[in-house]
Amino acid sequence: MKTELTIKESFKGLGRNKTRTFLMMLGIIIGITTLTIIVSAILGAKSDVMGKVAKFGVDQISINAGAGEIIGVPQDTPVTTLKLEDAEAILSEVKNIKSMAPSLNTRALPIKSSNGNTEANIQASTPQWTEVWDTRAVAGEFITDEDLSTMARVAVIGQTVAKELFGSEDPVGKQIRIRELPFTVKGVLQTKGTSPSGQDMDNRIIIPLTTGQKRLLNRDHIGTIKVVLRDPSKMAQTVEEIRHLLRERHNLQTGVADDFTFITPKQVTDVATQVSTALSLFLIVISAISLFVGGIVVGNIMLISVGERKREIGLRRALGARKKDILAQFLFESIAVTVSGGLLGVILGLAGGKILTLFTKLSMVISWEPFVLAFLFSGLVGVLAGISPAKRAASLDPVEALRS
Amino acid sequence: MIELRDIAKTYKKNGEVEVRVLQGVSLDIKKGEFVAIMAPSGMGKTTLMNILGCLDRPTSGTYRLEGVEVEKLNDDQLSLVRNEKIGFVFQTFNLLPRASALENVELPMIYSPRSGDLRKKATEALNAVGLSDRIHYKPSELSGGQQQRVAIARALVNSPSIILADEPTGNLDSASSTEIMAIFEGLHREDRTLILVTHEADIAAHAKRLIQMKDGKVVQDKKIG
Repeated sequence: MKTELTIKESFKGLGRNKTRTFLMMLGIIIGITTLTIIVSAILGAKSDVMGKVAKFGVDQISINAGAGEIIGVPQDTPVTTLKLEDAEAILSEVKNIKSMAPSLNTRALPIKSSNGNTEANIQASTPQWTEVWDTRAVAGEFITDEDLSTMARVAVIGQTVAKELFGSEDPVGKQIRIRELPFTVKGVLQTKGTSPSGQDMDNRIIIPLTTGQKRLLNRDHIGTIKVVLRDPSKMAQTVEEIRHLLRERHNLQTGVADDFTFITPKQVTDVATQVSTALSLFLIVISAISLFVGGIVVGNIMLISVGERKREIGLRRALGARKKDILAQFLFESIAVTVSGGLLGVILGLAGGKILTLFTKLSMVISWEPFVLAFLFSGLVGVLAGISPAKRAASLDPVEALRS
Repeated sequence: MIELRDIAKTYKKNGEVEVRVLQGVSLDIKKGEFVAIMAPSGMGKTTLMNILGCLDRPTSGTYRLEGVEVEKLNDDQLSLVRNEKIGFVFQTFNLLPRASALENVELPMIYSPRSGDLRKKATEALNAVGLSDRIHYKPSELSGGQQQRVAIARALVNSPSIILADEPTGNLDSASSTEIMAIFEGLHREDRTLILVTHEADIAAHAKRLIQMKDGKVVQDKKIG
């Protein structure tokens, strides 16, 4: 008896009853299709996170006022623990800092021009903002140190704001009102697109930090400090240096928690990974259940099939098939069904994932992982579902089986 | 070639009543013989056939096939004996319904340890029974006589020592029966060993030796033809 001939017999057996074969395959196809979409979505989410980190900057640290775990730029911070002096101390005392931009941010405020009105986020910051955030002014100029010292009422506006307020006109030199306070548009920022969290990065206005603190918001604290490192490999060490410096400046005793929070690229990755891990676990459980159900269907149909094919089994035994030949034939049938269902499922899943990206914001990454997973899982299901029916087929008494 | 000594077979029906189907059958069949075993229905013919074909084991007694004591063989060895030494022809043909004539004839070779060109051998076997123009037909596309010829080709394809035919004409009309018996006579002329089980006297008359059974025993054993 040759193995390849048994496999051939199994395939012939499946080919001779296509409806039954298809029904057996269906559950596996559905399970593996789901699994494939999930794997593609997880990989997509992973590459999104990497993109997020790249956008955040691998060489950057944010220090936010207050304890807590906030991702992104805190808006209208009520916490007053962080001062401009803290930011200046970090720049002058921590060696690994290349540049630094302190800022005080607001949620969306009403903005008006003579042509229209809109809402936009305000970031009150320093001239270094443009370097730290890697965003230049493409028309006009960015705010200067002079603007800072004179508390000038000037604003550099994002592309969306420019479009909302001025349409196709050149906004530079025109007047806008932020919360009824008049500002002169000094420049327009380059396009930055949508942030990974779905925020329009072009719907913002940059004003001098001093103007924001004294004239617009009446605050003397800042919300966040973003620093760029000279040597990104010393990230952890630099975080500790800044922590030490700030705790000293804030007179925090040992045992008292920090009144500021670091956001590093690693944290961005961690949080995003946590979220996607929880989600993917849930989805993997779902596809495991559907594979399990698919396996039960295969097992049951195989059992029925063994019952229906008793005569065939008896005949094969009479013609010289050993018990193990019958076992192998039925086991191969089961595995062939689930593995081909699995491969079909991967193809459907990849196609389905592609279609999903057209209608949703999900990212999908096509890779080799679903193929390997499908092969392993569907093969395993095939063995588990097929073993008991195949054993039953092999243990039939040839005389009884022929008589049936 | 075949030596049966005091073969008995007892079935337990419903766990209570013992049915003694065979009660001490002793037989010698030599190579090249054409033997018909006749018995009324339900008198142990098929059981004897199954024992001769190594599908079933006797409750007591010994069976030597070409010098080998069959009782001492394990299940795998019995399978090999069936594959190499026995060719079965059944009353109901027992062809795989969705497989072609060719695939049906290839079946015994799949389980043979010998290698060879399955297709070529199966085609030759089908030629030998006069079905060279029907090799790709499914059983449902063949007449009863043709189906039984496919089954005979399947029985011959591994060149077995014995051909066991259990009521081979039981499901056939008289024209097809004559056709099939002509094939068996041809096989006999080729010096093959044939054992035919039937309850029809005119079919048994084609053989050269007639064994009559009744109540699980041999009651008559004579040369005919």
